[in-house]
Amino acid sequence: MDCYTANWNPLGDSAFYRKYELYSMDWDLKEELRDCLVAAAPYGGPIALLRHPWRKEKAASVRPVLEIYSAAGVSLASLLWKSGPVVSLGWSAEEELLCVQEDGAVLVFGLHGDFRRHFSMGNEVLQNRVLDARIFHTEFGSGVAILTGAHRFTLSANVGDLKLRRLPEVPGLQSAPSCWTALCQDRAAHILLAVGPDLYLVDQAACSAVTPPGLTPGVSSFLQMAVSFTYRHLALFTDTGHIWMGTASLKEKLCEFNCNIRAPPKQMVWCSRPRSKERAVVVAWEKRLMVVGDAPESIQFVLDEDSYLVPELDGVRIFSRSTHEFLHEVPVASEEIFKIASMAPGALLLEGQKEYEKESQKADEYLREIQELGQLTQAVQQCIEAAGHEHRPDMQKSLLRAASFGKCFLDRFPPDSFVRMCQDLRVLNAVRDYHIGIPLTYSQYKQLTIQVLLDRLVLRRLYPLAIQICEYLRLPEVQGVSRILAHWACYKVQQKDVSDEDVARAINQKLGDTPGVSYSDIAARAYGCGRTELAIKLLEYEPRSGEQVPLLLKMKRSKLALSKAIESGDTDLVFTVLLHLKNELNRGDFFMTLRNQPMALSLYRQFCKHQELETLKDLYNQDDNHQELGSFHVRASYAAEERIEGRVAALQTAADAFYKAKNEFAAKATEDQMRLLRLQRRLEDELGGQFLDLSLHDTVTTLILGGHNKRAEQLARDFRIPDKRLWWLKLTALAALEDWEELEKFSKSKKSPIGYLPFVDICMKQHNKYEAKKYASRVGPEQKVKALLLVGDVAQAADVAIEHRNEAELSLVLSHCTGATDGATADKIQRARAQALKK
Amino acid sequence: MAFHLRPDAPELPDFSMLKRLARDQLIYLLEQLPGKKDLFIEADLMSPLDRIASVSILKQHEVDKLYKVEINKPVLSSSEQLCFLVRPRIKNMRYIAHLVNTDKLAGRTRKYKVIFSPQKFYACEMVLEEEGIYGDVSCDEWAFSLLPLDVDLLSMELPEFFRDYFLEGDQRWINTVAQALHLLSTLYGSFPNCYGIGRCAKMSYELWRTLEEEEEGETKSRRPEIGHIFFLDRDMDFVTALCSQVVYEGLVDDTFRIKCGSVDFGPEVTSSDKSLKVLLNAEDKVFSEIRNEHFSNVFGFLSQKARNLQAQYDRRRGMDIKQMKNFVSQELKGLKQEHRLLSLHIGACESIMKKKTKQDFQELIKTEHGLLEGFSLRESTSYIEEHIDRQVSPIESLRLMCLLSITENGLIPKDYRSLKTQYLQSYGPEHLLTFSNLRRAGLLTEQAPGDTLTAMESKVSKLVTDKAAGKITDAFSSLAKRSNFRAISKKLNLDYKAELTLAQRQPFAL
Repeated sequence: MDCYTANWNPLGDSAFYRKYELYSMDWDLKEELRDCLVAAAPYGGPIALLRHPWRKEKAASVRPVLEIYSAAGVSLASLLWKSGPVVSLGWSAEEELLCVQEDGAVLVFGLHGDFRRHFSMGNEVLQNRVLDARIFHTEFGSGVAILTGAHRFTLSANVGDLKLRRLPEVPGLQSAPSCWTALCQDRAAHILLAVGPDLYLVDQAACSAVTPPGLTPGVSSFLQMAVSFTYRHLALFTDTGHIWMGTASLKEKLCEFNCNIRAPPKQMVWCSRPRSKERAVVVAWEKRLMVVGDAPESIQFVLDEDSYLVPELDGVRIFSRSTHEFLHEVPVASEEIFKIASMAPGALLLEGQKEYEKESQKADEYLREIQELGQLTQAVQQCIEAAGHEHRPDMQKSLLRAASFGKCFLDRFPPDSFVRMCQDLRVLNAVRDYHIGIPLTYSQYKQLTIQVLLDRLVLRRLYPLAIQICEYLRLPEVQGVSRILAHWACYKVQQKDVSDEDVARAINQKLGDTPGVSYSDIAARAYGCGRTELAIKLLEYEPRSGEQVPLLLKMKRSKLALSKAIESGDTDLVFTVLLHLKNELNRGDFFMTLRNQPMALSLYRQFCKHQELETLKDLYNQDDNHQELGSFHVRASYAAEERIEGRVAALQTAADAFYKAKNEFAAKATEDQMRLLRLQRRLEDELGGQFLDLSLHDTVTTLILGGHNKRAEQLARDFRIPDKRLWWLKLTALAALEDWEELEKFSKSKKSPIGYLPFVDICMKQHNKYEAKKYASRVGPEQKVKALLLVGDVAQAADVAIEHRNEAELSLVLSHCTGATDGATADKIQRARAQALKK
Repeated sequence: MAFHLRPDAPELPDFSMLKRLARDQLIYLLEQLPGKKDLFIEADLMSPLDRIASVSILKQHEVDKLYKVEINKPVLSSSEQLCFLVRPRIKNMRYIAHLVNTDKLAGRTRKYKVIFSPQKFYACEMVLEEEGIYGDVSCDEWAFSLLPLDVDLLSMELPEFFRDYFLEGDQRWINTVAQALHLLSTLYGSFPNCYGIGRCAKMSYELWRTLEEEEEGETKSRRPEIGHIFFLDRDMDFVTALCSQVVYEGLVDDTFRIKCGSVDFGPEVTSSDKSLKVLLNAEDKVFSEIRNEHFSNVFGFLSQKARNLQAQYDRRRGMDIKQMKNFVSQELKGLKQEHRLLSLHIGACESIMKKKTKQDFQELIKTEHGLLEGFSLRESTSYIEEHIDRQVSPIESLRLMCLLSITENGLIPKDYRSLKTQYLQSYGPEHLLTFSNLRRAGLLTEQAPGDTLTAMESKVSKLVTDKAAGKITDAFSSLAKRSNFRAISKKLNLDYKAELTLAQRQPFAL
C-alpha cells in the first residue's frame, strides 16, 4: 500500500495529478500516429484513424484506409477510402464519424463504418476548398467549423439540423491564422483566432479584436490555443514560451506559466474536472508531456511514443501505439484517504477495516478514534465516494468493504448511496472491460446518464450486455429492455443474408408482446433497407392496426392498408387511405377496390353524397346498381331541376334505371309521377292555383274543394284511384265544404264501400247532428251502436245493443251512460245483462 | 328507467360528474379564444348544450351573442371572433367555408374557431381544405359524448347514428361509442360483465376493448360501480320502437317531444298564455310516480293525488299559531311545488287525451295488438289501408306498415305493392325514396318466397331446441341476419329456460 501514491504528482500545494493505464492497446498499427488523421470521441468513445493522408504526397494510386477502433484498440471497422481528400475527422455527440473533405462535403459514418449520409458545407466552401476544419460539441448537438482557402469561416452549430452560417470577414487576414478554435458561449458558436500578435473573436454579426488580460508582453504570435471541455476556460501558448490561462470570455486571467520551450506544441488540452482544485493544461511535444497549472513547477512526463491527447470531462486520455492512459487530478475523497499520513476519517476507517481483517485489536482503536470525533458517517461517505473514483476493482472492493464495515457501527445510515455505488461500479466495470472498451470514469458516467450509455452499447451492437444492465438495474421495461430489443430488431432486419421468414420469426420470438415495442417502427426500418416483404411480415405482428396503415401506404401497399384501416375501425384512417387510393389508382381500379370493401364504399358514398355527386353516380354506374341510380335521379329531380321539363326528364332517366333494376313498381310509380307532374302543370295553367308537388290525393281534394268535380272524376279515373279512397276523399272534402246536399247525393250514388259510419262521424265532427242522424239510420247493423252513440242517442243504442245481445256493445253503451239522464237506460242494460246471464 | 329502488340496491354512480366534465372542457375550449366572441350553435346541439352550460355560464366566458347555425341564411354577427359549435357534418363545413370566404372577399379578417362535438372527422377537415380555408380556422374537439338525462339514464345524443349506421352502413360513430364506453369505465371502473347482440354491438365492444388494452397498465383496479353492461343493436328490436306508446312518459314524448329530458308544455297545458320548459326526471316527484304507469291509470292516480294534496292543505284549518308557523315554513313550499307540478301533468294528460281520441286510439292499439299476436291479419291490413286513405298521419301510417312488415317477416308481394301505391297517392310520390330507404334498413320489406312464417318458425325452433352449447351461437348469428320477430317471441314466451340460455350465450359474452 505504501506505493499506492507513487504515481501521484503534486501540482502546486493542493492538488495531485495521477496517470494510470486503461488498456494496453490491442491494435497493430503499421504507421505512426503522426502520419494519420486521428479522431477520438469523448466519454471513452471510439478512435478513428485515416492512414495515408494526402498531405504525405504518396502515390495517388494507393487508396487510404479508414479504420475505427474501440478505446481498447479493438478494431470495429476498416474500409478503403474511395472518396475525395479528407481534411479533418471528428465524432459527433451521437458517435457518428464526420469526415470533412477538401471540397466541403461532409461524409457521415456509423461506428461500424457504415455510411449514413453526407451533406455539403455550401458552394462558397466548395469553391475555395477547405483549409482546416473542427468538429465541436454544443448543447444542441455537434457542430462543424470550416476555414476556407479564402480565409473565411463557415460553421453549422448542429449537423443534425443543418443551418450554414458564413461568418464575417476578419479584417486584414491575408494568410491562415496561426491557430483558431470554436467557442460556444451563450448558446451561440463563435470562432476565436490568432493572427500574429492579435486575437479576434468572430461571431455571426461581427468580428472584434480581443486581448487576454495580463498577458506578458512581447508576444508576436500565438502558437496553440485550447478551450476547456465545458468552454469555460481558455489557454494560449505564445511564441515566447508562455502559457496564458484564463476564462474563455477573456475577462479574467487565472495564471501564466513560462515553460521555456518555444517550439510549438503538438497538442494542448485542458485537464480539469468539475470543482477542480487546480485547473491545469496538458501540453504535449514529440517526446515530452507537461502538466501546467497555477504553480511555479510543472509536472513533466517523458513520452516514449508518439501519443495523442483526448480531453475528457474530468481528465485527459492519452493513447499511443501500445498504451492507453488516463491523466487526471486526484479526486478529493481519494486524496483524503490515500494521502500519505492522512488522518481523514475515511483513511482511518480504511486502516481500521484492514486491521479488522487481520483480526487485530487496532481496528477498535481506529474506530474509536473516528467515533470520538463523530465522523463515522463522513468516513463511510468518503469511502463510498473514493471507491467510485478507483479504476481497479480490487481497490473499489477494499474501499467498499471499509464503508460496509463502518456502516455496521452507525445507527441510521441510509443504504441507498452504498447500494447505488455498488450497482454503478458493477456497470462501469462491465463496460470498461477490454472487449467492450468504454473507459468511462464515474463522473463521466453520471454526466452521460445510464440512458445514453445504453444507447452507446446499442450503437456498438452489444445488445445482450445492454439488456443485462437493464435487468440488473431494474429499469422499467419501456425505457429499458424493450427499447433495446427494438433496436436489436432494427439491426436484425438489416442482415441481408437471412431470409425474411427467419428474421421475422426471430424478431417475434424475442420480442413477443413486450410492451412499448413498436413493430411498425421495426417494419419501417426494414422498409428503409429495401425489404418490403419483411416489413409487411413484421407489420402482421403489430397489434394496433392504426400503426400499420401509414407505413403500408408508404410502401404503396394501399389495398392492404385499406383492409388494415377497416380492421382498426377508425373511419378517419379508412378515409385517409381512400384519398390516397383515389390519387394513386385510376378511377376504374379505385372503384373496383371499393367494391370489395363495403365499409369503405359506404364511407366514400357518404362523402360523395355531400361533396361529389357526379362521382356517386359513377359509383352506382360502375356497380350496375340501377336501383340506387334510379333513386339518385329521383333525388336529382327534386334537388337540381327547377323547370318542369327538366324534372320530367330526370324522372324519365330514373324510370329507365328502375326498369333495368327490374323494379317495375318503382318504374311505374315514377311514370305516374311524371304524368301527375305534367297534369298538375296543365291544371295550374288552366285553373290557376297551386297544384305542383301535391300528392294525387291532395290534387283531387283541391279540385273538389275548388268545385271542379268533373275534373276530379276524370283524374280519379285516369289514375285508377280505388273506390274506397275516392269515397273517403270526397266525403272529407264535401264535409269540409259543408256541401251537405252534394254529400247526400254522393252517398246515394251507390252503396258506400266504406260503410256509413264515417259519414256520421264526419258530420258530427262538423257539428251537424241533423245530417249525422240521416246517415246513422243507414249504418249497417254491426256498427249501428257506435253510430247511435256518436249522434248521442244513448237510449236507442241501448235498445239495439240489447237486441244484438252483444256483451261488448252493452258495456260500450254503459260506459257512455253519464249522469242522471241516462239512468233509466243504464238500468235497462243491467237488467238485460242479468237476463242474459240467467239464460 | 327510474324504477323505484329496492332498499338494498347499491347506490347509483354519480353521473353528474359527466356533466361537470363536459362543462369544464367546453369552458376550456371557449377560453382558448380569449375576448368577446359570438357562438354559433347547431340546432341539434342546442338542447344538449342547455343541459350542460346555461347562457349565463357562456356569458361569463365572454360569449357575446348566440346564433343558431342556419344553412342558407345570412350571418348577421359583427363580432371579430366567431366560434362554431357543430357536429362533424360536411354541410356545416360548407356553411363555415361560405362564411369565411364571404369575409375574405369583403377584405375582412376575423378569428374563426370550429368546435366539433363529439369529435372531428378527417372528411370534415378535408372539406375545409378543399374550400381553401383550412388555415383560417382553428379546429377543436369537444369530446362530449354522454349526457346524463336522469339519475339513472345517460344518452349519447347522436341522432344521426341510426341513419348513418343502419341505412348507410357508415361505421364512423362506432368509434365514438367506444370512446364513450372508455370514458365510463375510466370514471366508474371497468365493467365486469358484458353482454350484447348485433353486429354494431360487437364492433363497439371490440373497439372499446382495444382502447382499454392500450391503457391497461395505467388503469388501477378499482371497485366497478357498473356491474353489467348490455349492448343492443336497434335492428335487433325494431318492434318496441314501432309500437304505440302507452305509458305516461311515452305519450308525453309522443305529444310534446321530450328533448334531452326536458319538454316544452304549450299554453294549452300550462293554462296561461306562455309555454313552459319542464325538466322531466326523478326530481319531479309527481312525474316519477306516473312516468311508467299505463296511461289509463294515470288519471285516477292524479285525481287521488289531488285529493291528498287538498287534505294536506286542509290540515291547516285546525292548527294553532305555532303549528301554522311550522306548516308555512316547512311544508307549504313543498305543497305549492307539488300543486304546480300536479296541475301541469293534469294539463298534459288532457292534451294527450284530446289528441288520442281524435285518432281512434282504441282502434290503433287493437290493430297493433293484432299484429304483435299475429291474429286478424286481414283486418289489420285493411285498417292500415284505411289509415293511409284517410291521410291520418304520414308517419303513423309508415309506422304501422313497418310493424306489419316486421311482425310478418316482410309483406306479401300483393300487399307490399298496394300499400305502397296507396301511400304514394296519399302522401306524395317523393316517398318512393322513403320506401327504398326503409327497404335497405330492413324496416319495410317484401317477403321472399320460401321465407314464409311457418318455414322460419320451424327453423328457429330447431335451432333453439338444439341444446348443444356451441350451436346456440350459430343460431344467434343466423337469427341476427334475418330475425323473425314472431318466431323468437313465441319461443321466448314458451320456454323460459331457452331465454336464459340465449341471453347468456351471446356472440361475445364474457
